Amino acid sequence: MEDIPVDVGLIYEGERIRKSSMYVDLAGPKSKGAELLLVVPPDEVEDGKVEVVGPDVDQMEEGGRYPFGILIKVAGEKLEEDLEGVFERKLHYFCNYIQGFMHLNSRDIIWCRISKDAAKKGLKLYHVGRVLVNLYKSEFDVIEKIQVTFYTDEKAVDEHIARAREVYEKRDARASAIKDEDVDVFYSCLLCQSFAPTHVCAITPSRSGGCGAVTWFEGRAAVKVDPSGPIGEIPKGEVIDPVKGEYSGINEYVREKSNGTIERVYLHSLFDYPHTSCGCFEAIAFYIPEVDGIGIVHRDFHGVTPFGIPFSTMAGQVGGGVQSQGFLGISIAYLRSPKFLQGDGGWRRIVWMPSQLKERVRSAIPQEMYDLIATENEAQDLDTLRKFLEEKQHPVLERLKAEEAKEKAEEAPEEEQPAATMPELTVPVQAGAGAPVEFTITFKNAKIYAEKIIIRRKE
Amino acid sequence: MIIAVSGKGGTGKTVVAALLVRCFTEMGREVLAIDADPDANLGEALGVQVERTLGDIREEMLKRMESMPPGVSWRTALEYETHRAIVEADEFDLLSMGRPEGQGCYCAVNHVLRQIIDTIAENYEVVVIDTEAGLEHLSRRTTQSVDVMLVVTDTSKRGITTALRIRELAESLSISFRKLGVVINRATPETEQRIEEYAREVGLEVAGVVPEDAEVRELDLMGEPLLKLSRDSPAKRAVCGIAEKLMELGA
Repeated sequence: MEDIPVDVGLIYEGERIRKSSMYVDLAGPKSKGAELLLVVPPDEVEDGKVEVVGPDVDQMEEGGRYPFGILIKVAGEKLEEDLEGVFERKLHYFCNYIQGFMHLNSRDIIWCRISKDAAKKGLKLYHVGRVLVNLYKSEFDVIEKIQVTFYTDEKAVDEHIARAREVYEKRDARASAIKDEDVDVFYSCLLCQSFAPTHVCAITPSRSGGCGAVTWFEGRAAVKVDPSGPIGEIPKGEVIDPVKGEYSGINEYVREKSNGTIERVYLHSLFDYPHTSCGCFEAIAFYIPEVDGIGIVHRDFHGVTPFGIPFSTMAGQVGGGVQSQGFLGISIAYLRSPKFLQGDGGWRRIVWMPSQLKERVRSAIPQEMYDLIATENEAQDLDTLRKFLEEKQHPVLERLKAEEAKEKAEEAPEEEQPAATMPELTVPVQAGAGAPVEFTITFKNAKIYAEKIIIRRKE
Repeated sequence: MIIAVSGKGGTGKTVVAALLVRCFTEMGREVLAIDADPDANLGEALGVQVERTLGDIREEMLKRMESMPPGVSWRTALEYETHRAIVEADEFDLLSMGRPEGQGCYCAVNHVLRQIIDTIAENYEVVVIDTEAGLEHLSRRTTQSVDVMLVVTDTSKRGITTALRIRELAESLSISFRKLGVVINRATPETEQRIEEYAREVGLEVAGVVPEDAEVRELDLMGEPLLKLSRDSPAKRAVCGIAEKLMELGA
């Protein structure tokens, strides 16, 4: 590359410049800084210009620490504001291609270092800017003009950080509004297949992975960094059911990656084809047939659910990559999704959750529903739960009453109240670890009376 | 070169690891020391203060993920925090793995963390990992391939049995190593030869013998860093002998 005193290339990625070989520290935990890329009209960019506001490397003291800002302005006919974030993330990689230049993290928590060797060879920020101009233009044809400004003067950096934060905020607000219908590609995570071989996690803007660690945005970033890694792309395909969240692309992908075990997946429902879980979800949504409502329990809650069992016991039944009717492993973030269990009625169907969790996601709960949801303080078992719901006139009761009335009319009068009624319950049973012997028991409009049920494997 | 130093508690494993770090730095090598034993304290033995461990960072990150803005990736943030957690001494860098994880899902975060640590490790000529006998960190969090596995043992038959067990464990956890050798620590003239013979008999290579050293014992007793060890301490000389041999082998 033209007049650049150091090498530039992929091999320098991941270079850590140690303290003993460092010339200067830029931004970082003990200083401040920010990077920002803006898409602007063409007349606001002087193509190829690199400017340094404040001292450049040759005016810096060896061993010094300086605040540091990077501002990149790009223009091009086909450029949209939405691409700013994607381009801005590239800064991390492009900077790291430069020998003797270390760049960590993004936005307003960056940390850069220039090595003694590079400084001795005459590397200046000006050169870094020239490299960025070249790399951006060669990687992205749509960028027609680009201008780079570095800030090392404290006052200029402060102003730059303030402006950058405003932009980040706007960008995030826009991104948070993205829904499943706004994108063409979903992501999948197979990280947990080591202990749940048939579990394929489908990640969409409205559904993050059960662990909470992999959001759609994270998936997009991961695929770029590690294309052959455990996170991959799922083409969305056709929309089969927009409410329950069924997509042909997800079905095909899951079928293939679960070795044919899972045929269909609903993203936003507990019933029929619920999403599988690995075992490390943050919370469980569970169907309570007695009130025809849904409860939610999270990992940090150590008490018991109205079923009389704690999270840990329930988790054992939900995980392992099987579709468990009426149970769904979810992330806490999913409670904040605008599509949260929309296939089952969303928040209007939620009847119970631990008080700590309820408080944590307060802002996501529709105001009129907040007081209608019981916690461990009001309901410790099914009786107290039902009483609470009746007192509060919870919407699930209307449905339940309609159904019970229908049943009563059909039933013989001498029959006693069933212990459990559920419209339909399918229990997939997996025999032995990895054994292909698998079958499904389906109950339709079943009433089950039992003191105890024992199912044994035939020897 | 990545060297994992393992062995059961009380064998002086951390002392050997710390001395290896000292020897390599004195040889002019760039060294990354990794403390991957929550029950030991390599930082203390090396005389540096550790403020944050990767265990702390991992927990913080799991909490932060929920509120990460959509435009920010926790993997780049995790990389940054990992670099930040490295203690930069004048002669070497130190990374502490810290406590094991609690409940919850660590799959994603551990997967990324391992990539980060592997990448960081490539920047050093020598990486010395002080790891517990269960090899938990090697199998799940740091790296799965090391060049040399050193198993520190005392001069007991039981110590040698432990060394054999660690070798089996490493194989079953698919941790790859090019070479495995035992380091017989606190050897006395009476025990040295017999235990060395025994180790060879059961098929273990002896990487070195470190003599009982009153000065080491005294520093250890006072909780003082081994930095203070005099240049010609017999234990240190022996460990430096091992370091030189490993370097020559280019192992």
